[in-house]
Amino acid sequence: MISTGVSGLDEMLGNGIPRGRKVLYSLEPGVDGQLFMISSLSCALAKGHSCLVILPNTTVDAFHSDAVSKCGAKLDTKLKNVAFLDSVDRERIQKSAKTTAAQKREWQARVQKICREREVDTIFAYFDLLYEDFGLEGALDILATAQHERNATLILEHLNLEGPPLLSRFIQEQEFDLVIAIRSSSRPIPHFNYFTILHCSWSSLPSRSVPFVISGNQIVPYVPKIVVTGPAHSGKSTFVANASDEGRSVDRAGPDGDPTTVALDYGWLRWKDFEITLYGTPGHARFDPLIPPALNHAMGVVLVIDATKPDTLPRAQSLIELITKKKIPYVIAANRRDLPGVMTPGEIRAQLQIPAKIPVYPISAKVRQDVHRVLESLVDYITQYPV
Amino acid sequence: MYLYKSGIAQIDDVSGGLEAGTNILILAPPMSYAEQLAYALTKPLPGEYSIVLSTNERASEVIDFFKVAGADKRFTGVIDAITKSSTPGIADTQRLMFVSSPTDLTGIGIKFSNMIETIFEGDFSEGEPGLFPPPIRFCVNSISTLLMYRRLEVLYQFLHVLTAKLKKTEGVGIYLLNSESFDEKTLSLIKQLMNCVIEVKVESNVSSLRIQGIRGVTGEWLKFSVTKGQVVILP
Repeated sequence: MISTGVSGLDEMLGNGIPRGRKVLYSLEPGVDGQLFMISSLSCALAKGHSCLVILPNTTVDAFHSDAVSKCGAKLDTKLKNVAFLDSVDRERIQKSAKTTAAQKREWQARVQKICREREVDTIFAYFDLLYEDFGLEGALDILATAQHERNATLILEHLNLEGPPLLSRFIQEQEFDLVIAIRSSSRPIPHFNYFTILHCSWSSLPSRSVPFVISGNQIVPYVPKIVVTGPAHSGKSTFVANASDEGRSVDRAGPDGDPTTVALDYGWLRWKDFEITLYGTPGHARFDPLIPPALNHAMGVVLVIDATKPDTLPRAQSLIELITKKKIPYVIAANRRDLPGVMTPGEIRAQLQIPAKIPVYPISAKVRQDVHRVLESLVDYITQYPV
Repeated sequence: MYLYKSGIAQIDDVSGGLEAGTNILILAPPMSYAEQLAYALTKPLPGEYSIVLSTNERASEVIDFFKVAGADKRFTGVIDAITKSSTPGIADTQRLMFVSSPTDLTGIGIKFSNMIETIFEGDFSEGEPGLFPPPIRFCVNSISTLLMYRRLEVLYQFLHVLTAKLKKTEGVGIYLLNSESFDEKTLSLIKQLMNCVIEVKVESNVSSLRIQGIRGVTGEWLKFSVTKGQVVILP
């Protein structure tokens, strides 16, 4: 297995990339996604893999400097063990071989020779210029012989100027095992990058998109917004407070003297390599106009209910209607599992009439472990949610 | 909609300036002052920002031009595709970014997006605020060099994305192309991406320009020179 260098992504793939597979990181123009390839290279080198890096568009020195600035000094010494074919090699090949066919043969011979001599087990290639010079099949041919001979893993980065049709060709015609498209929001503000796993041959993943930020030379997948909602006094604020590394609640005393949320609870946490921001809504019906805007762009919802109060379930049901209309993934946190008279998950499911795929977790919002279990389940659910 | 003053009375008097989202091709032979013309159109006015993609000269030379032209350097950024080949370790700053060569369209695209993002986030000009949403002038000097490194079809696709992005951000784009080095197919394909073409010619050592594609502007040849970053239309 080769780690992608992105823990959240590795988990989705079942611990990384198995040996001998063909992987494509497809970059949309302008998306800062080069760290995907460099992180994978860094991880392969850290595990002692023998790597060949093909970079026809730049020199080894310029690549070295860029890679170290992106991935940190730890990569510096590791790169000394890498075999390279760079823009200087491309120029030499173009000068010495006059026809495209002759150039292709020369590339093929050089790749094969290096792979044999260095016992290369992982080939990284920046694909744009090879693709431009030789077309899709021709460029992949250059790499195929050496790859098959050594059962090497092949990892490509490609600037995709042609969009989905080219990606389909990689998947269908060229039988790539893993195709990840790295994209960005088209607006300058708010700007965010995200990756979409379009195809994975060794796992039955549905196509999924995950936003990411680059933080400390690492790609960090993040879930920008999870909304915590539910009927009044079900324990939402307690849930947000116990889930978060940092947070705020805007509570005021209600008519019964108990504090009630009058704006939004806010919490932030890092969980399973995802950065998560939680927004807790007020529960009283009079604040309902707040809920639809709060659900805008939400990537997941935790619906907190009081499992000791069946009379609040109709209210929960109306919230579920709102959530499902927006096609947002959600889980049910059935709070106060430690109190007498608590409903079972089966009873809750029956009363709420929710499908079997929606998890119902009996929790105590005061217990951090319980709260995190719900979030873990939701994060898994979000990352597996079909686009 | 924001209007970008061109400094050319024949444009500004008729239409108030260049409309946001305009992409202009400057089609010119060598040694025709076209580069100065492109930089004069790119020079940021107060509150505006400029980005130059330079495939022909180093960032320091570009900045020198803008300095002489009286532009505030805090509002000018350069994506330099020259320097890194000789100085691989050179590091990016907010306003000076480097790609390894004009071949590296991935790098160019990323640096362009990063600079736009930095401008929108207000981190570009050392705390000195410009207008918001930020008016951005973007210059590619030159398409001719990019075409030496990449195939026409590839570059067309890349420029298509770049021009579209500039339209979305309501900037203006100025692109230089040598009119004598490429065939008609190349010129007409690149023209398809533009809303306006400024042709330049040189006769008896005097440069003239002709503007096409701006409503109300007549397509007559106008003699011009560029002095301190300002286009001067000669009588």
